[in-house]
Amino acid sequence: MNTQRVWFAFFIVLALTLNFGFFVGEIDNPLHHNPYELFFALIVSLIATVLKIGDRSHLGAVLLATSLVADLQLIVAAVMWGYAAQVTGEVSVSVMASIVSLAGGAMLANITSVILLIAETIQLKR
Amino acid sequence: MKFNMRRRSRIRGAAMWLLLLELRTPLITLIVTYSISVLGLILIPGATHEGAAYHLSFLDAFYLVSYTATTIGFGETPYPFTPSQKLWMLFVMYSTVIAWLYAIGSVLAVLSDPAFRRLRSYQRSVSRIHGVKDPYWIVCGYGGAGSQLIRFLDQSGSRCVMIEANAARADAARLSDLSYELTILVGDVAEPQTLVDAGVQRALCRGVLALTDHDQVNLTVATNTRILAPRVAVYARSATDANTRNLRSFDTEVVVDPFRVAARSVTQLIRRPNAYALYHELVDPDLNQIEVVEVPVAGHWILCATGRMAETMVEAFVREQIPFYLVSSRSPGIQGDWPWIEGVGTEAQTLREARISEAVGIVAGTDDDGDNLSILLTAQSENPTLITVARRNKPTSEPVFGQGHFDCVLREGRIIAQEMYARLTTPLLHQFLGQLETMPEALVDGIIEKLNARLAGDRPELAHFDLTLDGNEAPGVIPFLHTVMTPKLGDLLVDPGLDHPGMPLICLLLIRLNGDQVPFPGDGLPLEEGDRLLLWGAMGAHHRLHFLVRRVDLFETVLSVRHQNTA
Repeated sequence: MNTQRVWFAFFIVLALTLNFGFFVGEIDNPLHHNPYELFFALIVSLIATVLKIGDRSHLGAVLLATSLVADLQLIVAAVMWGYAAQVTGEVSVSVMASIVSLAGGAMLANITSVILLIAETIQLKR
Repeated sequence: MKFNMRRRSRIRGAAMWLLLLELRTPLITLIVTYSISVLGLILIPGATHEGAAYHLSFLDAFYLVSYTATTIGFGETPYPFTPSQKLWMLFVMYSTVIAWLYAIGSVLAVLSDPAFRRLRSYQRSVSRIHGVKDPYWIVCGYGGAGSQLIRFLDQSGSRCVMIEANAARADAARLSDLSYELTILVGDVAEPQTLVDAGVQRALCRGVLALTDHDQVNLTVATNTRILAPRVAVYARSATDANTRNLRSFDTEVVVDPFRVAARSVTQLIRRPNAYALYHELVDPDLNQIEVVEVPVAGHWILCATGRMAETMVEAFVREQIPFYLVSSRSPGIQGDWPWIEGVGTEAQTLREARISEAVGIVAGTDDDGDNLSILLTAQSENPTLITVARRNKPTSEPVFGQGHFDCVLREGRIIAQEMYARLTTPLLHQFLGQLETMPEALVDGIIEKLNARLAGDRPELAHFDLTLDGNEAPGVIPFLHTVMTPKLGDLLVDPGLDHPGMPLICLLLIRLNGDQVPFPGDGLPLEEGDRLLLWGAMGAHHRLHFLVRRVDLFETVLSVRHQNTA
């Protein structure tokens, strides 16, 4: 067993699960979406990105790309939330829907990432 | 092709990836410290001025951590901190600043790592080579021959890419004063990847010059080039006959054996001094005069040499039937009925045994520069009229040999550079030199006499160049080729100015379109379309010739004046 691979898979899967946890619920209801969950989803996604750097294979490049997409979407969602709460003073229903849909997009990227991880694992010959 | 692209890209991005790999841990450390700090600030309750409980927002927390981590420190916002917040801030300050120092330290460590810097400079050279838009030569090895040849090529306006494994020599190459920028690749030339990185597979690569000091490396370069880029010409240095045969077996274009060339030069100097002078004027871009050394025909020579130098010299002297005494510390590898005197030749006694007082000349050809100088100085004091031939081994000894007033100095690097340069600048010269080897001395004398007649007492610097009679190079001549005017070779060698004086130029070789060669053609030879001419004469005369052959009106005047005069 390779400890490095464990951490690698752990962070990739955790990024997806946290992202999913934030995403589920009514799309425009702030009560269904925990800001801390978004915070952790973003942090874990960033760590996963850094872990993916350094693999120069074709698969490694695609994995890195999916992670970058997820980071981008989550950062935009977080900035949007912060702007609405602090500058506008109110998180409206439409803003909440945008934040959650952005997180949904990030989740798709994370799903791709996990599928690629599984595909690579299955291909592994012992 | 796909394979090649991938291999190339691996080299190109390698340094960046190395940096990113090294940065993984510092980056994760930064992310984790930041997130823990932000989270702690949000969770720990603060107090407003009125004492009411209060939680920082994500924006406030991230803002606070950011200015703390970068040691800007704007202070406690939006309310003064409670003791528990202060405790946490202590953790935030130290951990984030340390995380930053760690990250920056890692970047600097990677950037200043010698291996990383080598990789970076290698990569820079590779990308520069692949961005070059002009044809270039790949020179392997910056030794005596490599540096000299690069200088010759630079003077003729050709670009070079140089591969050298030795970092000190590569630095010397960097300091060389060239008009074109020399691209230097520090790497092992025996590895095929180095050749690929040097651009051997690009269409702009004109040839590979294998000039390292090791035969085996040169052989590897030649074979690798044959397989990687079969169309690219290979010029190799070879110091043994076995290696030369091996190189020739797979069609290496030119193989130069410095020992054989040196032996040939010396016998040429003795038997055919005119051919020697002409040969060296043509092959050496630095030598612009005909300098004939007067060598007495009768008398014997003294050869002081060991190893392969002795073997090739003896072979050449025996072939040319020049009497000689061999002075050598070791018994020579080849046998024959010629006298051998044991010793180095630095002592007068040894030289007297070789009857130095009656000798014509002496060749100091050992592989030690100090010995060679000592031999020649001893010999000159014994017999001041001797013709002296010195062998210079190290380029650093040049000042002594250059000022020693020797009749001929054999410099290995220069010999190789001359031989190769003559063959890679113009193919016509290559063919003429081949004919010169067997040309009778009287004919060579005639060539020099003819040029001297045309120079009319002047001693200008000499140069050679080639001219092709086609629509591109000589549009002024082409319209008259099939007319009754019948342009002849002599019409080209006429100054287009007033009175049409002859130009200080002669034609050494003319090659017809069908491959027929006319060495040293007469002025009355009719010209044909597609003729290629090797011309030789005063430096600068080719400008006037090019002017003449491009202008229809000028050339017509020259022709009609000639017809009037003959009529």
